Amino acid sequence: MTSSSSSVSADAVPRPDAKAGLMGQAQSHPLPWLMPVIVVIGAFYLYPILDALRLAFTNASLTGGEEVYSLAALRAVLTNPALPTVLGNTAIFTAASVVGQMLLGLGIALLVVRGERNSLPGMLVLRTIVLAAWVVPGVANGVIWSMLFSEAPFGAINSTLGLMGIAPVSWLSSPQNAMISVIIANIWQGTAFSMIVIYAALKGIDETLYEAAAVDGALPWERFAFITLPQIKVALLINAILITIQTLNTFDAVISLTGGGPGRATEVLSLFTYNTVFNNFDLAGGSVLSIVLLVIALALAGLYALFLPRGEK
Amino acid sequence: MTTRTHWARRVVPLMAATAMTLSALPISAQDQMVARDRVGPVDAENSLTFRLTAYDLYSADEATAEGFEELFTDFINDNPGWRIDTQLQTGNLNEEQARILEQSQAGRGPDCAMIDSAQLAAFKEASVLAPMNDFLSEEEIADFFPYVREGITDDEGNVLALWWFTDLRVLYRNTDVVPDAPQTWDETQAAALETVEAGYEGMLFNGGRTEGTAFDWLAFYWAQGGEIVDADGMPVFYEGENREMFLNALEFYDGLVESGAAPQRVATITTYDDITAAAAAGTTAMFIGGNWQYAQLQTTLDAEQAAAWEVSELPGPTADQRATGTGGWAIAALSDDPAKVEMCVEIAKLYAGPGNAFQRLLPTSAALYDEYEEFAGPEFAVFAEALENGQARPGVASYPEISAQIQVLIGEVLSQAKEPEQALDDAAVALDAAFSQQ
Repeated sequence: MTSSSSSVSADAVPRPDAKAGLMGQAQSHPLPWLMPVIVVIGAFYLYPILDALRLAFTNASLTGGEEVYSLAALRAVLTNPALPTVLGNTAIFTAASVVGQMLLGLGIALLVVRGERNSLPGMLVLRTIVLAAWVVPGVANGVIWSMLFSEAPFGAINSTLGLMGIAPVSWLSSPQNAMISVIIANIWQGTAFSMIVIYAALKGIDETLYEAAAVDGALPWERFAFITLPQIKVALLINAILITIQTLNTFDAVISLTGGGPGRATEVLSLFTYNTVFNNFDLAGGSVLSIVLLVIALALAGLYALFLPRGEK
Repeated sequence: MTTRTHWARRVVPLMAATAMTLSALPISAQDQMVARDRVGPVDAENSLTFRLTAYDLYSADEATAEGFEELFTDFINDNPGWRIDTQLQTGNLNEEQARILEQSQAGRGPDCAMIDSAQLAAFKEASVLAPMNDFLSEEEIADFFPYVREGITDDEGNVLALWWFTDLRVLYRNTDVVPDAPQTWDETQAAALETVEAGYEGMLFNGGRTEGTAFDWLAFYWAQGGEIVDADGMPVFYEGENREMFLNALEFYDGLVESGAAPQRVATITTYDDITAAAAAGTTAMFIGGNWQYAQLQTTLDAEQAAAWEVSELPGPTADQRATGTGGWAIAALSDDPAKVEMCVEIAKLYAGPGNAFQRLLPTSAALYDEYEEFAGPEFAVFAEALENGQARPGVASYPEISAQIQVLIGEVLSQAKEPEQALDDAAVALDAAFSQQ
């Protein structure tokens, strides 16, 4: 019996020298092993970026014509008087959305973890409700909020305010309010993602840390500031990187909620890029803006990464 | 044995029924001439791809879809050996038109497609449209309205599309509240203020980021004789006399909102459907809309309420200065195969004649108004009169960019973010920057 077991395990486990041989081959000749990944990344990620970079230095248009290399598109985009407004909108929209999603996500995650620890009923339902907003497509999100924010006499929120004797609010026709409305819609949809990431991080915290803090007589805010936050710091930073990139690329909810208006009040960089290509047929200008968007996203991701603990970047 | 008998009794009939159903499937697929992705038999000898919008054959309105299904069934029976592979354009029409243009240049476009008249110039410039002259008689070409003929013909006299319906903008009013049609801008503002006093939300019009905003409003600029582009296609609306006329028209809109004759929410309206909804809900008594909304109101409202709504020509700065924007859709061939081009022309004629009569859209040929009794209603007399002052968009590829700037500046004025002069100056700087690279 003993002999039989040892024989089976000896067949199932790769021999150490064979394993070392494969590792050795991979280390001495890594290219064949990396080739599939290089091909996939090159074809599906790198090539489009390089092509956008190439197009940025041409006069390419969706209406065709001879393609000539020039700096005209770059110059036209960078001197476009609308660009500062669009970049300002993007900064406000992204910063407010990221902060809002992080804070709300953290709040809900803390609530759920605390509820689960105390065996409160309904925690699963709460998580599901928050997640429901996340699975709604961006365009549908915009349509839903446009019905809620509608300033028509039959608009949902204004009608409700009217029943309470409150004057109607210019949710979408006032430039300032329109930006706030767009941010609310984006936070509503994006909070679930932050909640999931932070919830997972909270569940990973060693309970003995809280028990030790309780023994030491730490107050709740002290436990939050000196145990919870440091323990989920990495998750918060990674979450911040992901939702910043996601928010920078968001235009579907904006286009269906305000179309970028009134005027340019809610036109963010991704929507400006989309309009440049699909409304103005300016492929070169759109490529320049795509590169600007990529550079901003990379710069912000790099900035966040500086705060990651060493060895976890 | 009992088990086997039971199995035989239950399963054998089930298998037989399944086999019969499966064998019948190809037959039913053959019989169904109009499917979600084709018109005509699956195994037809010839096929043509046709990219259409979702407003007729695949309309969400059941009656419209059924009507067009009948028209297409008759059509395909009259053209044996053909199958039309239909491809639906999504609601994002700008993106769809850009996609057709790009695919056609790469040789992957549809054989035949619906093209927004606003985009025809871009398609003409890209040289992707096949001439249709061989399949249209000289009388048919001559019968198009002049602005339509100009829009579909290139410098060599080739007819590159069949502009199958046109539309125009008119002023709608609920005659219970506004009995007489306002003729001038001042009269319009006064009438709209009266509706506000009567408890309505004022006059509605498109004011958000959409082509409708620019196009509806341009009528007030054109009414004064303003020009958008010069002979080279460069924007000139912000220079010289044009600038003054442009500001006059902008101040008309600005005055409507500032005086309360129109609610500020017009800056958020991006579809005519929003306006129709408000009219149907009884919250507005005046609006600027398209001719097609008349039929929508007649079918949406009860007979008494519908009868109260009338249309009139858009007001001008004076009663003698009028204009209206005329748009519509064309069908164009994007194939080099003459047989497919001919089939595409036949499809376009189907839409231009019986299709228009069914939907009560406005044909682009004078003869069709006499041919169909559907165009005998009193509203068509108003439309015909307004069409005399019809003005199409400039036939230049740069129009979408110019329109986008006009949409932005109108939004800025309506939301009270900028004064008209400032908004126009900023648009001028943006357009100068954009056109400097061309």
